[in-house]
Amino acid sequence: MPKSLQDEGAAAQTERSLYEAALQNCLAGELRIVNAGLPQSQQRLAHLLRQEHPHVLCNDGSTHVFKRRELEYLASMLGAEEQEALQLPMLIELGGGQAEAAVICQAGTEQRVVSQALGMSVACEQRRIRLYKPQLALLRRKLRTTTVYLFSSRLVA
Amino acid sequence: MPQLVKVRPTKIELVKLKRRLSLAQRVQKIVKDRLSILTMEFLQTARDTAEAKKRLLDEFSKLYKALSIAAGYHGYMALEKELVSTEADLKIAAGARNVAGVRIPSLELMEHRRKMRGYSLTDTSSWVDRTAELAEESLRAIAELAELQRSFELLAAEINRTKRISNALEYIVIPGLQVTINYLNMKFEERDREEKARLKRVKVLVARG
Repeated sequence: MPKSLQDEGAAAQTERSLYEAALQNCLAGELRIVNAGLPQSQQRLAHLLRQEHPHVLCNDGSTHVFKRRELEYLASMLGAEEQEALQLPMLIELGGGQAEAAVICQAGTEQRVVSQALGMSVACEQRRIRLYKPQLALLRRKLRTTTVYLFSSRLVA
Repeated sequence: MPQLVKVRPTKIELVKLKRRLSLAQRVQKIVKDRLSILTMEFLQTARDTAEAKKRLLDEFSKLYKALSIAAGYHGYMALEKELVSTEADLKIAAGARNVAGVRIPSLELMEHRRKMRGYSLTDTSSWVDRTAELAEESLRAIAELAELQRSFELLAAEINRTKRISNALEYIVIPGLQVTINYLNMKFEERDREEKARLKRVKVLVARG
């Protein structure tokens, strides 16, 4: 192979690897960012109400702080047993460019909370409460710190 | 017009390109979801900020009215003398929360309703109580507005960034990969046809020989 062609090939290879590396970094970074703020573990409402500064640790090492006003709002609509059962923050699952989101319902208490917050009955199917975007906006307005978004790769894939 | 990605025309490169396309399409879906959520949060925050600003102005207006009446009733000197002893440190619980990958500050005024405010209850009137109560409400409104305003700015910056990524994926990266994959597929088909033609020619030559 002539030397000029070899040089051209090597230059193209370098350019390609730089481009690929930048692209892969950017894409991997995006995937990392979206779920970095998820809590390491959820905590019970009753436990959070007893804390001076209610918070949970996130996967990226940061803390997610709850507003006491919101916790008291949740406590006002639940009994003592349900306060022990409700795990916070509640997870809102999104994925696949769908027009709806789903609140993950672990103990059934979430269904009651979402229903009361929206002022309408909601159904829980396969441990998910399906919500449309306007309902999601309303729910987020009332429960800003006690709900977090989860971008599910299972739904996206 | 999307540009071809510079690759060697080999089957391995084609497989790699297909993988990259699949990854880019998955990321595009996530980025679009994220963008729609960020936009929803941004609009909500914008509405809340406007409401909080209006509420704060109302609180200030009520507060200044109450303060003027209290000052008129007691006189500036007497009021100032009473208020000297009411100074207290503010306690604000500051933290952060995460909204679709954006760290948003969370501010909450602690103990904003105190039973004893420090001034003499016998030497002052209910106008001073009312003024103090309204001042505490204003502080709460200020903390709320500060949180919303900062959230508004952070969400706007993140929407801009995410939109750029989404547009780059939609109009440059994915079309470029698709065009390159098509180009490589056509190249391989052309090679196959050439190979067939060569084999036929060789067959004819062998038959003649």
